[in-house]
Amino acid sequence: MLYNKNKIALVDCNSFYVSCERLFNPSINKKPVVVLSSNDGCVISRSAEAKNLGIKMGEPYFKVKKIVKENDVKIFSTNFALYGDISRRVMKTLKQFCPQMEIYSIDEAFLDLSSVKNEDLLEHCYKIKKTVLKWTGIPTSIGIGSTKTLSKAANYIAKKEKSGVIDLINSKKIDELLSKIKINDVWGVGRQLTKFYIKNGINTAYDLKKINNSWIKKNTNVFGSRTAMELRGFSCASLKPYEEKRKNCCVSRSFGRKVTKLEELSESVTTHCLNAAEKIRLDKQTVKKITVFIRTSPFQMKNNYYANSKDIDLPIRTNDSIELVKQALSALKCIYRQGYKYQKAGIILSGLNDVDVYKKNLFSSINNEEKRTRLMKAIDYTNIKYGRHALSIAQAGLRKKWNIKRQYSSKIDTACMNLLPVAKIS
Amino acid sequence: MKLLLPFHLHKVGAGFPSPATDYVEDDIDLNSHLIKNIPSTFLIRVQGKSMNDIGIHDGDLLVVDRSLNPKNFSTVVANVNEELVVKTFVKEKNCSFLTSGPNKINLTENPEIFVWGVVTYTIHAL
Repeated sequence: MLYNKNKIALVDCNSFYVSCERLFNPSINKKPVVVLSSNDGCVISRSAEAKNLGIKMGEPYFKVKKIVKENDVKIFSTNFALYGDISRRVMKTLKQFCPQMEIYSIDEAFLDLSSVKNEDLLEHCYKIKKTVLKWTGIPTSIGIGSTKTLSKAANYIAKKEKSGVIDLINSKKIDELLSKIKINDVWGVGRQLTKFYIKNGINTAYDLKKINNSWIKKNTNVFGSRTAMELRGFSCASLKPYEEKRKNCCVSRSFGRKVTKLEELSESVTTHCLNAAEKIRLDKQTVKKITVFIRTSPFQMKNNYYANSKDIDLPIRTNDSIELVKQALSALKCIYRQGYKYQKAGIILSGLNDVDVYKKNLFSSINNEEKRTRLMKAIDYTNIKYGRHALSIAQAGLRKKWNIKRQYSSKIDTACMNLLPVAKIS
Repeated sequence: MKLLLPFHLHKVGAGFPSPATDYVEDDIDLNSHLIKNIPSTFLIRVQGKSMNDIGIHDGDLLVVDRSLNPKNFSTVVANVNEELVVKTFVKEKNCSFLTSGPNKINLTENPEIFVWGVVTYTIHAL
Protein backbone atom coordinates (compact mmCIF):
# COMPACT_ATOMS: atom_id res chain seq x y z
CA MET A 1 0.00 0.00 0.00
CA LEU A 2 1.57 3.18 -1.16
CA TYR A 3 0.39 6.71 -1.12
CA ASN A 4 -0.14 7.38 -4.74
CA LYS A 5 -0.66 10.07 -7.30
CA ASN A 6 -3.06 7.88 -9.21
CA LYS A 7 -5.92 9.44 -11.07
CA ILE A 8 -8.71 7.01 -11.73
CA ALA A 9 -11.94 7.75 -13.53
CA LEU A 10 -14.98 5.52 -13.34
CA VAL A 11 -17.17 5.87 -16.40
CA ASP A 12 -20.66 4.51 -15.84
CA CYS A 13 -23.41 4.45 -18.47
CA ASN A 14 -26.66 6.06 -17.27
CA SER A 15 -29.61 3.62 -17.19
CA PHE A 16 -27.64 1.56 -19.67
CA TYR A 17 -30.27 -0.92 -20.89
CA VAL A 18 -32.88 1.81 -21.22
CA SER A 19 -30.38 4.00 -23.10
CA CYS A 20 -29.71 1.12 -25.52
CA GLU A 21 -33.45 0.72 -26.17
CA ARG A 22 -33.80 4.47 -26.75
CA LEU A 23 -30.98 4.56 -29.26
CA PHE A 24 -33.12 3.11 -32.07
CA ASN A 25 -36.52 4.04 -30.70
CA PRO A 26 -36.76 7.83 -30.35
CA SER A 27 -40.45 7.52 -29.45
CA ILE A 28 -39.49 6.55 -25.89
CA ASN A 29 -37.15 9.49 -25.30
CA LYS A 30 -38.22 11.56 -22.30
CA LYS A 31 -40.82 8.95 -21.32
CA PRO A 32 -40.69 6.62 -18.33
CA VAL A 33 -39.07 3.35 -19.47
CA VAL A 34 -38.11 0.17 -17.61
CA VAL A 35 -36.33 -3.01 -18.68
CA LEU A 36 -37.36 -6.29 -17.04
CA SER A 37 -35.10 -9.24 -16.20
CA SER A 38 -35.46 -12.65 -17.89
CA ASN A 39 -39.01 -13.93 -17.96
CA ASP A 40 -40.11 -10.36 -17.43
CA GLY A 41 -39.67 -10.84 -13.70
CA CYS A 42 -38.04 -7.81 -12.07
CA VAL A 43 -37.13 -4.24 -12.97
CA ILE A 44 -33.41 -4.13 -13.80
CA SER A 45 -33.04 -0.77 -15.54
CA ARG A 46 -35.04 2.44 -15.18
CA SER A 47 -35.03 5.74 -16.99
CA ALA A 48 -34.82 8.87 -14.84
CA GLU A 49 -38.54 9.43 -15.48
CA ALA A 50 -39.34 5.93 -14.17
CA LYS A 51 -37.19 6.51 -11.08
CA ASN A 52 -39.17 9.68 -10.38
CA LEU A 53 -42.39 7.66 -10.42
CA GLY A 54 -41.02 5.68 -7.49
CA ILE A 55 -40.25 2.45 -9.35
CA LYS A 56 -37.47 0.74 -7.40
CA MET A 57 -34.55 -1.26 -8.76
CA GLY A 58 -35.13 -5.00 -8.57
CA GLU A 59 -38.85 -4.73 -7.84
CA PRO A 60 -40.97 -7.57 -9.26
CA TYR A 61 -43.00 -6.48 -12.26
CA PHE A 62 -46.35 -7.44 -10.72
CA LYS A 63 -45.75 -4.98 -7.89
CA VAL A 64 -45.27 -2.00 -10.21
CA LYS A 65 -47.95 -2.93 -12.74
CA LYS A 66 -50.31 -0.33 -11.35
CA ILE A 67 -47.77 2.52 -11.69
CA VAL A 68 -46.94 1.25 -15.17
CA LYS A 69 -50.57 1.38 -16.29
CA GLU A 70 -51.40 4.72 -14.75
CA ASN A 71 -48.34 6.49 -16.16
CA ASP A 72 -47.99 4.72 -19.50
CA VAL A 73 -44.53 3.44 -18.60
CA LYS A 74 -42.86 1.72 -21.57
CA ILE A 75 -41.83 -1.85 -20.76
CA PHE A 76 -39.00 -3.81 -22.40
CA SER A 77 -37.73 -7.36 -21.99
CA THR A 78 -33.96 -7.76 -21.97
CA ASN A 79 -32.17 -7.78 -25.30
CA PHE A 80 -28.65 -8.75 -24.30
CA ALA A 81 -27.47 -9.18 -27.88
CA LEU A 82 -28.06 -5.45 -28.38
CA TYR A 83 -26.72 -4.38 -24.97
CA GLY A 84 -23.57 -6.46 -25.52
CA ASP A 85 -22.83 -4.87 -28.88
CA ILE A 86 -23.44 -1.32 -27.63
CA SER A 87 -21.28 -2.06 -24.56
CA ARG A 88 -18.40 -3.17 -26.80
CA ARG A 89 -18.74 0.08 -28.76
CA VAL A 90 -18.67 2.18 -25.58
CA MET A 91 -15.59 0.32 -24.32
CA LYS A 92 -13.80 0.67 -27.67
CA THR A 93 -14.49 4.40 -27.64
CA LEU A 94 -13.11 4.71 -24.10
CA LYS A 95 -10.04 2.74 -25.07
CA GLN A 96 -9.14 5.38 -27.65
CA PHE A 97 -8.86 7.91 -24.84
CA CYS A 98 -7.17 5.64 -22.38
CA PRO A 99 -5.48 2.37 -23.30
CA GLN A 100 -5.01 1.63 -19.59
CA MET A 101 -8.51 0.63 -18.63
CA GLU A 102 -10.40 -2.05 -16.78
CA ILE A 103 -13.80 -3.10 -18.04
CA TYR A 104 -15.60 -3.58 -14.76
CA SER A 105 -19.05 -4.59 -15.99
CA ILE A 106 -21.26 -4.33 -19.06
CA ASP A 107 -21.73 -0.61 -18.43
CA GLU A 108 -18.76 0.50 -16.28
CA ALA A 109 -15.04 0.95 -16.82
CA PHE A 110 -12.14 2.30 -14.75
CA LEU A 111 -9.71 4.50 -16.70
CA ASP A 112 -6.19 5.27 -15.56
CA LEU A 113 -5.79 9.01 -16.17
CA SER A 114 -2.52 9.41 -14.24
CA SER A 115 -0.85 10.94 -17.28
CA VAL A 116 -3.41 13.77 -17.47
CA LYS A 117 -2.48 17.01 -15.69
CA ASN A 118 -4.59 17.80 -12.63
CA GLU A 119 -5.93 21.01 -14.08
CA ASP A 120 -6.97 19.24 -17.30
CA LEU A 121 -8.81 16.34 -15.63
CA LEU A 122 -12.30 17.82 -15.74
CA GLU A 123 -11.99 19.06 -19.30
CA HIS A 124 -10.63 15.68 -20.39
CA CYS A 125 -13.54 13.83 -18.83
CA TYR A 126 -16.11 16.17 -20.38
CA LYS A 127 -14.54 15.35 -23.71
CA ILE A 128 -14.78 11.60 -23.02
CA LYS A 129 -18.41 11.96 -22.00
CA LYS A 130 -19.25 14.02 -25.08
CA THR A 131 -17.51 11.64 -27.47
CA VAL A 132 -19.14 8.50 -26.03
CA LEU A 133 -22.54 10.20 -26.38
CA LYS A 134 -21.92 11.28 -29.96
CA TRP A 135 -20.36 8.05 -31.19
CA THR A 136 -22.54 5.50 -29.43
CA GLY A 137 -25.55 7.50 -28.28
CA ILE A 138 -25.06 6.43 -24.67
CA PRO A 139 -25.07 9.03 -21.86
CA THR A 140 -22.50 8.49 -19.10
CA SER A 141 -21.46 9.85 -15.72
CA ILE A 142 -17.80 10.10 -14.72
CA GLY A 143 -16.27 10.15 -11.27
CA ILE A 144 -12.60 10.94 -10.71
CA GLY A 145 -10.66 9.96 -7.60
CA SER A 146 -7.20 8.88 -6.49
CA THR A 147 -8.41 5.31 -5.81
CA LYS A 148 -11.02 3.02 -7.31
CA THR A 149 -13.29 3.39 -4.27
CA LEU A 150 -13.05 7.20 -4.43
CA SER A 151 -13.78 7.19 -8.17
CA LYS A 152 -16.85 5.06 -7.45
CA ALA A 153 -17.93 7.53 -4.77
CA ALA A 154 -17.33 10.43 -7.15
CA ASN A 155 -19.41 8.68 -9.77
CA TYR A 156 -22.23 8.19 -7.29
CA ILE A 157 -22.34 11.96 -6.79
CA ALA A 158 -21.85 12.67 -10.52
CA LYS A 159 -25.01 10.69 -11.30
CA LYS A 160 -27.02 13.25 -9.35
CA GLU A 161 -25.31 16.29 -10.85
CA LYS A 162 -26.39 17.90 -14.08
CA SER A 163 -22.81 18.13 -15.32
CA GLY A 164 -22.37 14.37 -14.93
CA VAL A 165 -18.68 14.71 -14.03
CA ILE A 166 -17.23 15.01 -10.51
CA ASP A 167 -13.55 15.35 -9.68
CA LEU A 168 -12.65 14.50 -6.09
CA ILE A 169 -8.91 14.91 -6.68
CA ASN A 170 -9.01 18.69 -7.04
CA SER A 171 -11.99 19.12 -4.76
CA LYS A 172 -11.66 20.98 -1.49
CA LYS A 173 -15.04 19.69 -0.40
CA ILE A 174 -14.16 16.01 -0.56
CA ASP A 175 -15.14 15.30 3.06
CA GLU A 176 -18.35 17.24 2.69
CA LEU A 177 -19.23 15.19 -0.37
CA LEU A 178 -18.28 11.88 1.27
CA SER A 179 -20.54 12.66 4.21
CA LYS A 180 -23.47 12.78 1.77
CA ILE A 181 -22.91 9.17 0.70
CA LYS A 182 -24.71 6.61 2.82
CA ILE A 183 -22.56 3.74 4.03
CA ASN A 184 -24.52 1.14 2.05
CA ASP A 185 -23.79 3.06 -1.16
CA VAL A 186 -20.02 2.76 -0.66
CA TRP A 187 -18.34 0.37 -3.08
CA GLY A 188 -17.53 -2.93 -1.39
CA VAL A 189 -19.86 -2.48 1.59
CA GLY A 190 -22.47 -5.24 1.44
CA ARG A 191 -25.66 -5.79 3.37
CA GLN A 192 -24.11 -7.52 6.38
CA LEU A 193 -21.31 -5.00 6.73
CA THR A 194 -23.81 -2.14 6.44
CA LYS A 195 -25.79 -3.50 9.40
CA PHE A 196 -22.62 -3.82 11.44
CA TYR A 197 -21.35 -0.33 10.58
CA ILE A 198 -24.69 1.35 11.31
CA LYS A 199 -24.86 -0.41 14.66
CA ASN A 200 -21.49 1.15 15.43
CA GLY A 201 -22.47 4.63 14.34
CA ILE A 202 -20.80 4.60 10.95
CA ASN A 203 -23.49 6.00 8.67
CA THR A 204 -21.65 7.63 5.79
CA ALA A 205 -18.55 7.22 3.64
CA TYR A 206 -16.98 10.05 5.62
CA ASP A 207 -17.59 8.22 8.92
CA LEU A 208 -15.78 5.17 7.55
CA LYS A 209 -12.90 7.30 6.31
CA LYS A 210 -12.42 8.84 9.75
CA ILE A 211 -12.71 5.68 11.83
CA ASN A 212 -9.73 4.35 13.71
CA ASN A 213 -7.71 1.93 11.60
CA SER A 214 -7.04 -0.63 14.31
CA TRP A 215 -10.73 -0.73 15.15
CA ILE A 216 -11.58 -1.67 11.56
CA LYS A 217 -8.83 -4.26 11.42
CA LYS A 218 -10.07 -5.80 14.63
CA ASN A 219 -13.75 -5.78 13.78
CA THR A 220 -14.03 -6.43 10.06
CA ASN A 221 -12.20 -8.46 7.48
CA VAL A 222 -9.44 -7.40 5.12
CA PHE A 223 -11.97 -5.96 2.66
CA GLY A 224 -13.36 -3.66 5.33
CA SER A 225 -10.00 -2.05 6.05
CA ARG A 226 -9.23 -1.90 2.33
CA THR A 227 -12.33 0.16 1.69
CA ALA A 228 -11.46 2.54 4.53
CA MET A 229 -7.88 2.91 3.28
CA GLU A 230 -9.09 3.58 -0.24
CA LEU A 231 -11.45 6.28 1.01
CA ARG A 232 -8.40 7.96 2.58
CA GLY A 233 -6.63 7.91 -0.77
CA PHE A 234 -4.38 4.88 -0.31
CA SER A 235 -4.72 2.58 -3.27
CA CYS A 236 -5.39 -1.07 -2.36
CA ALA A 237 -6.94 -2.27 -5.59
CA SER A 238 -5.08 -1.74 -8.82
CA LEU A 239 -6.54 -1.61 -12.30
CA LYS A 240 -6.88 -4.97 -13.99
CA PRO A 241 -6.40 -4.26 -17.69
CA TYR A 242 -6.54 -7.90 -18.69
CA GLU A 243 -9.44 -10.17 -18.20
CA GLU A 244 -8.62 -12.93 -15.82
CA LYS A 245 -9.56 -16.41 -16.84
CA ARG A 246 -12.69 -17.57 -15.12
CA LYS A 247 -12.56 -20.14 -12.35
CA ASN A 248 -16.23 -21.09 -12.61
CA CYS A 249 -18.78 -21.09 -15.35
CA CYS A 250 -22.47 -20.96 -14.48
CA VAL A 251 -25.30 -21.19 -16.98
CA SER A 252 -28.85 -21.08 -15.72
CA ARG A 253 -32.19 -19.81 -16.94
CA SER A 254 -35.63 -19.34 -15.55
CA PHE A 255 -38.29 -21.15 -17.54
CA GLY A 256 -40.87 -19.25 -19.56
CA ARG A 257 -43.55 -21.32 -17.86
CA LYS A 258 -43.51 -23.77 -14.99
CA VAL A 259 -41.93 -27.11 -15.89
CA THR A 260 -42.87 -30.38 -14.19
CA LYS A 261 -41.52 -33.20 -16.35
CA LEU A 262 -38.06 -34.72 -16.08
CA GLU A 263 -37.75 -34.77 -19.88
CA GLU A 264 -38.15 -31.02 -20.13
CA LEU A 265 -35.73 -30.38 -17.27
CA SER A 266 -33.27 -32.71 -19.03
CA GLU A 267 -33.57 -30.73 -22.24
CA SER A 268 -32.79 -27.50 -20.44
CA VAL A 269 -29.90 -28.94 -18.41
CA THR A 270 -28.46 -30.41 -21.61
CA THR A 271 -28.67 -27.07 -23.40
CA HIS A 272 -26.98 -25.27 -20.48
CA CYS A 273 -24.25 -27.92 -20.47
CA LEU A 274 -23.61 -27.44 -24.17
CA ASN A 275 -23.45 -23.65 -23.75
CA ALA A 276 -21.06 -23.89 -20.81
CA ALA A 277 -18.88 -26.49 -22.52
CA GLU A 278 -18.62 -24.31 -25.60
CA LYS A 279 -17.60 -21.34 -23.44
CA ILE A 280 -14.83 -23.20 -21.64
CA ARG A 281 -13.54 -24.77 -24.86
CA LEU A 282 -13.31 -21.28 -26.32
CA ASP A 283 -11.09 -20.34 -23.36
CA LYS A 284 -9.16 -23.60 -23.73
CA GLN A 285 -10.15 -24.79 -20.28
CA THR A 286 -11.19 -28.08 -18.74
CA VAL A 287 -13.43 -28.76 -15.78
CA LYS A 288 -13.10 -30.86 -12.64
CA LYS A 289 -16.54 -30.62 -11.06
CA ILE A 290 -20.04 -30.14 -12.34
CA THR A 291 -23.01 -29.00 -10.25
CA VAL A 292 -26.62 -29.27 -11.34
CA PHE A 293 -29.34 -27.30 -9.55
CA ILE A 294 -33.10 -26.99 -9.88
CA ARG A 295 -35.67 -25.04 -7.93
CA THR A 296 -39.30 -23.97 -7.86
CA SER A 297 -40.33 -20.34 -7.56
CA PRO A 298 -39.30 -18.79 -4.21
CA PHE A 299 -42.71 -17.12 -4.12
CA GLN A 300 -44.22 -20.57 -3.58
CA MET A 301 -42.50 -20.86 -0.25
CA LYS A 302 -45.58 -21.88 1.71
CA ASN A 303 -46.92 -24.95 0.02
CA ASN A 304 -44.68 -26.29 -2.62
CA TYR A 305 -41.11 -25.08 -2.49
CA TYR A 306 -38.30 -27.40 -3.51
CA ALA A 307 -34.68 -26.67 -4.31
CA ASN A 308 -31.78 -29.04 -4.59
CA SER A 309 -28.39 -29.42 -6.18
CA LYS A 310 -25.85 -32.12 -6.74
CA ASP A 311 -22.11 -32.02 -7.37
CA ILE A 312 -20.31 -34.60 -9.43
CA ASP A 313 -16.54 -34.85 -9.34
CA LEU A 314 -15.43 -35.90 -12.76
CA PRO A 315 -13.04 -38.83 -12.98
CA ILE A 316 -11.00 -37.04 -15.65
CA ARG A 317 -10.74 -33.30 -16.39
CA THR A 318 -12.67 -32.65 -19.56
CA ASN A 319 -14.42 -30.13 -21.78
CA ASP A 320 -16.23 -32.74 -23.80
CA SER A 321 -19.90 -31.79 -24.27
CA ILE A 322 -21.11 -35.37 -24.48
CA GLU A 323 -19.33 -36.45 -21.31
CA LEU A 324 -20.55 -33.38 -19.41
CA VAL A 325 -24.15 -33.89 -20.50
CA LYS A 326 -24.01 -37.53 -19.43
CA GLN A 327 -22.80 -36.58 -15.95
CA ALA A 328 -25.22 -33.69 -15.60
CA LEU A 329 -28.22 -35.79 -16.53
CA SER A 330 -27.32 -38.48 -14.02
CA ALA A 331 -27.05 -35.76 -11.35
CA LEU A 332 -30.40 -34.33 -12.41
CA LYS A 333 -32.06 -37.72 -12.01
CA CYS A 334 -30.82 -37.87 -8.42
CA ILE A 335 -32.37 -34.56 -7.41
CA TYR A 336 -35.52 -34.55 -9.52
CA ARG A 337 -38.76 -35.01 -7.56
CA GLN A 338 -42.13 -35.45 -9.13
CA GLY A 339 -45.01 -33.12 -8.36
CA TYR A 340 -43.19 -29.81 -8.27
CA LYS A 341 -43.50 -26.88 -10.64
CA TYR A 342 -39.91 -26.01 -11.45
CA GLN A 343 -38.99 -22.44 -12.28
CA LYS A 344 -35.25 -22.61 -12.81
CA ALA A 345 -32.51 -25.05 -13.71
CA GLY A 346 -28.82 -24.53 -14.16
CA ILE A 347 -25.35 -25.98 -14.10
CA ILE A 348 -22.06 -24.77 -12.67
CA LEU A 349 -18.70 -25.95 -13.96
CA SER A 350 -16.05 -25.40 -11.32
CA GLY A 351 -12.35 -26.03 -10.83
CA LEU A 352 -11.61 -24.73 -14.31
CA ASN A 353 -8.06 -25.04 -15.51
CA ASP A 354 -6.10 -24.66 -18.71
CA VAL A 355 -6.19 -27.52 -21.17
CA ASP A 356 -2.46 -28.16 -21.01
CA VAL A 357 -2.88 -29.36 -17.43
CA TYR A 358 -5.05 -32.04 -18.95
CA LYS A 359 -3.56 -35.25 -17.62
CA LYS A 360 -3.91 -38.31 -19.73
CA ASN A 361 -5.87 -40.75 -17.67
CA LEU A 362 -4.53 -44.23 -17.27
CA PHE A 363 -7.86 -45.75 -18.15
CA SER A 364 -8.93 -43.60 -21.05
CA SER A 365 -8.18 -44.79 -24.50
CA ILE A 366 -6.09 -42.12 -26.17
CA ASN A 367 -7.45 -42.89 -29.55
CA ASN A 368 -10.99 -42.21 -28.44
CA GLU A 369 -9.96 -38.98 -26.76
CA GLU A 370 -8.45 -37.56 -29.89
CA LYS A 371 -11.56 -38.43 -31.83
CA ARG A 372 -13.68 -36.64 -29.26
CA THR A 373 -11.48 -33.54 -29.35
CA ARG A 374 -11.86 -33.42 -33.10
CA LEU A 375 -15.62 -33.87 -32.79
CA MET A 376 -15.86 -30.95 -30.34
CA LYS A 377 -13.79 -28.77 -32.66
CA ALA A 378 -16.13 -29.63 -35.52
CA ILE A 379 -19.20 -28.78 -33.41
CA ASP A 380 -17.78 -25.43 -32.31
CA TYR A 381 -16.72 -24.54 -35.83
CA THR A 382 -20.14 -25.38 -37.25
CA ASN A 383 -21.95 -23.41 -34.56
CA ILE A 384 -19.79 -20.34 -35.01
CA LYS A 385 -20.29 -20.47 -38.75
CA TYR A 386 -23.97 -21.38 -38.95
CA GLY A 387 -25.26 -19.90 -35.71
CA ARG A 388 -25.81 -21.04 -32.19
CA HIS A 389 -27.26 -24.54 -31.85
CA ALA A 390 -26.92 -25.40 -35.55
CA LEU A 391 -25.29 -28.59 -34.36
CA SER A 392 -26.35 -29.94 -31.03
CA ILE A 393 -27.00 -33.25 -29.38
CA ALA A 394 -30.41 -34.84 -29.42
CA GLN A 395 -31.05 -34.61 -25.67
CA ALA A 396 -31.16 -30.81 -25.93
CA GLY A 397 -34.52 -31.13 -27.68
CA LEU A 398 -35.71 -29.17 -30.66
CA ARG A 399 -38.82 -27.37 -29.54
CA LYS A 400 -37.59 -26.04 -26.21
CA LYS A 401 -41.02 -25.15 -24.85
CA TRP A 402 -39.40 -24.18 -21.57
CA ASN A 403 -37.37 -21.37 -23.10
CA ILE A 404 -37.50 -17.93 -21.52
CA LYS A 405 -40.32 -15.55 -22.14
CA ARG A 406 -39.38 -12.15 -23.48
CA GLN A 407 -42.62 -10.78 -24.77
CA TYR A 408 -41.63 -7.11 -24.73
CA SER A 409 -38.27 -7.49 -26.47
CA SER A 410 -37.26 -4.83 -28.99
CA LYS A 411 -35.79 -7.59 -31.21
CA ILE A 412 -33.08 -5.30 -32.56
CA ASP A 413 -29.51 -6.54 -32.83
CA THR A 414 -26.88 -4.19 -34.23
CA ALA A 415 -24.56 -7.15 -34.78
CA CYS A 416 -27.00 -9.43 -36.64
CA MET A 417 -27.92 -8.90 -40.31
CA ASN A 418 -31.51 -10.10 -39.87
CA LEU A 419 -32.31 -7.90 -36.89
CA LEU A 420 -30.75 -4.58 -37.85
CA PRO A 421 -32.41 -1.32 -36.80
CA VAL A 422 -34.56 0.38 -39.41
CA ALA A 423 -34.73 3.91 -40.83
CA LYS A 424 -37.73 4.98 -42.87
CA ILE A 425 -38.05 7.02 -46.01
CA SER A 426 -41.20 9.10 -45.98
CA MET B 1 -18.70 -8.37 -38.59
CA LYS B 2 -15.60 -9.82 -40.13
CA LEU B 3 -15.52 -10.71 -43.77
CA LEU B 4 -12.34 -11.44 -45.67
CA LEU B 5 -12.37 -12.02 -49.38
CA PRO B 6 -9.34 -14.02 -50.48
CA PHE B 7 -7.70 -11.79 -53.05
CA HIS B 8 -4.88 -14.03 -54.12
CA LEU B 9 -3.83 -17.46 -52.99
CA HIS B 10 -1.24 -19.71 -54.44
CA LYS B 11 0.76 -22.69 -53.48
CA VAL B 12 4.19 -23.43 -54.81
CA GLY B 13 4.41 -27.00 -55.88
CA ALA B 14 6.86 -28.50 -58.27
CA GLY B 15 7.38 -26.54 -61.44
CA PHE B 16 7.73 -22.90 -62.23
CA PRO B 17 7.10 -20.63 -59.23
CA SER B 18 4.33 -18.09 -59.67
CA PRO B 19 5.74 -14.88 -61.11
CA ALA B 20 3.02 -12.97 -59.24
CA THR B 21 4.31 -13.82 -55.77
CA ASP B 22 5.98 -10.46 -55.34
CA TYR B 23 2.75 -8.67 -56.12
CA VAL B 24 0.54 -10.39 -53.58
CA GLU B 25 -1.15 -7.81 -51.44
CA ASP B 26 -3.13 -8.44 -48.31
CA ASP B 27 -6.72 -9.71 -48.55
CA ILE B 28 -9.35 -7.12 -49.38
CA ASP B 29 -11.30 -6.38 -46.27
CA LEU B 30 -14.56 -4.65 -47.18
CA ASN B 31 -15.17 -3.81 -43.54
CA SER B 32 -12.05 -1.71 -43.25
CA HIS B 33 -12.96 0.00 -46.50
CA LEU B 34 -16.58 0.76 -45.59
CA ILE B 35 -16.13 1.34 -41.86
CA LYS B 36 -13.66 4.01 -40.85
CA ASN B 37 -14.65 4.26 -37.20
CA ILE B 38 -15.80 0.92 -35.82
CA PRO B 39 -17.44 1.89 -32.50
CA SER B 40 -19.48 4.71 -34.04
CA THR B 41 -20.58 2.96 -37.26
CA PHE B 42 -23.94 1.18 -37.46
CA LEU B 43 -25.65 -0.76 -40.24
CA ILE B 44 -29.24 0.34 -40.70
CA ARG B 45 -31.88 -1.16 -42.96
CA VAL B 46 -33.97 1.11 -45.20
CA GLN B 47 -37.72 0.69 -45.07
CA GLY B 48 -40.43 2.31 -47.15
CA LYS B 49 -40.22 4.22 -50.40
CA SER B 50 -37.04 4.92 -52.31
CA MET B 51 -34.97 8.07 -52.64
CA ASN B 52 -34.21 7.56 -56.32
CA ASP B 53 -32.39 10.86 -56.69
CA ILE B 54 -29.65 9.71 -54.32
CA GLY B 55 -29.93 6.00 -55.10
CA ILE B 56 -31.35 4.63 -51.85
CA HIS B 57 -34.03 1.95 -52.14
CA ASP B 58 -36.32 -0.04 -49.90
CA GLY B 59 -34.36 -2.85 -48.21
CA ASP B 60 -30.92 -1.32 -48.78
CA LEU B 61 -28.27 -1.33 -46.07
CA LEU B 62 -26.96 2.00 -44.91
CA VAL B 63 -23.52 2.41 -43.35
CA VAL B 64 -24.07 5.18 -40.81
CA ASP B 65 -21.24 6.88 -38.93
CA ARG B 66 -22.36 8.79 -35.82
CA SER B 67 -18.95 10.37 -35.24
CA LEU B 68 -19.16 12.54 -38.39
CA ASN B 69 -20.71 15.98 -38.60
CA PRO B 70 -23.02 16.43 -41.60
CA LYS B 71 -21.85 18.65 -44.43
CA ASN B 72 -24.04 20.43 -46.95
CA PHE B 73 -26.03 17.79 -48.89
CA SER B 74 -24.95 14.92 -46.66
CA THR B 75 -27.42 12.04 -46.54
CA VAL B 76 -28.30 11.52 -42.89
CA VAL B 77 -30.39 9.40 -40.58
CA ALA B 78 -32.38 11.74 -38.37
CA ASN B 79 -34.82 11.56 -35.51
CA VAL B 80 -38.02 13.10 -36.86
CA ASN B 81 -41.39 12.73 -35.13
CA GLU B 82 -40.17 9.89 -32.90
CA GLU B 83 -38.85 7.84 -35.82
CA LEU B 84 -35.50 7.31 -37.49
CA VAL B 85 -35.77 8.53 -41.08
CA VAL B 86 -33.43 9.12 -44.01
CA LYS B 87 -33.10 12.76 -45.09
CA THR B 88 -30.76 15.13 -46.91
CA PHE B 89 -29.00 17.74 -44.79
CA VAL B 90 -28.92 21.20 -46.32
CA LYS B 91 -27.25 24.39 -45.09
CA GLU B 92 -28.57 27.77 -46.14
CA LYS B 93 -27.09 30.94 -44.69
CA ASN B 94 -27.25 30.44 -40.92
CA CYS B 95 -29.93 27.74 -40.96
CA SER B 96 -29.79 23.96 -41.36
CA PHE B 97 -32.61 21.97 -42.94
CA LEU B 98 -33.58 18.36 -43.51
CA THR B 99 -35.17 17.68 -46.87
CA SER B 100 -36.71 14.79 -48.74
CA GLY B 101 -38.47 15.73 -51.97
CA PRO B 102 -40.34 19.00 -51.51
CA ASN B 103 -40.54 18.75 -47.70
CA LYS B 104 -38.21 20.94 -45.70
CA ILE B 105 -37.71 20.92 -41.93
CA ASN B 106 -35.89 23.78 -40.25
CA LEU B 107 -33.55 22.28 -37.64
CA THR B 108 -33.01 25.55 -35.83
CA GLU B 109 -36.73 25.99 -35.28
CA ASN B 110 -37.30 22.36 -34.23
CA PRO B 111 -34.75 21.49 -31.57
CA GLU B 112 -36.42 18.11 -30.89
CA ILE B 113 -35.43 17.00 -34.38
CA PHE B 114 -31.76 16.06 -34.66
CA VAL B 115 -29.29 14.25 -36.87
CA TRP B 116 -28.63 10.69 -35.62
CA GLY B 117 -25.73 9.87 -37.93
CA VAL B 118 -24.24 10.49 -41.36
CA VAL B 119 -24.74 7.90 -44.12
CA THR B 120 -21.36 7.08 -45.66
CA TYR B 121 -22.29 4.18 -47.97
CA THR B 122 -25.38 2.42 -49.18
CA ILE B 123 -25.28 -1.27 -50.01
CA HIS B 124 -27.82 -2.28 -52.61
CA ALA B 125 -28.44 -5.82 -53.83
CA LEU B 126 -29.05 -6.11 -57.57
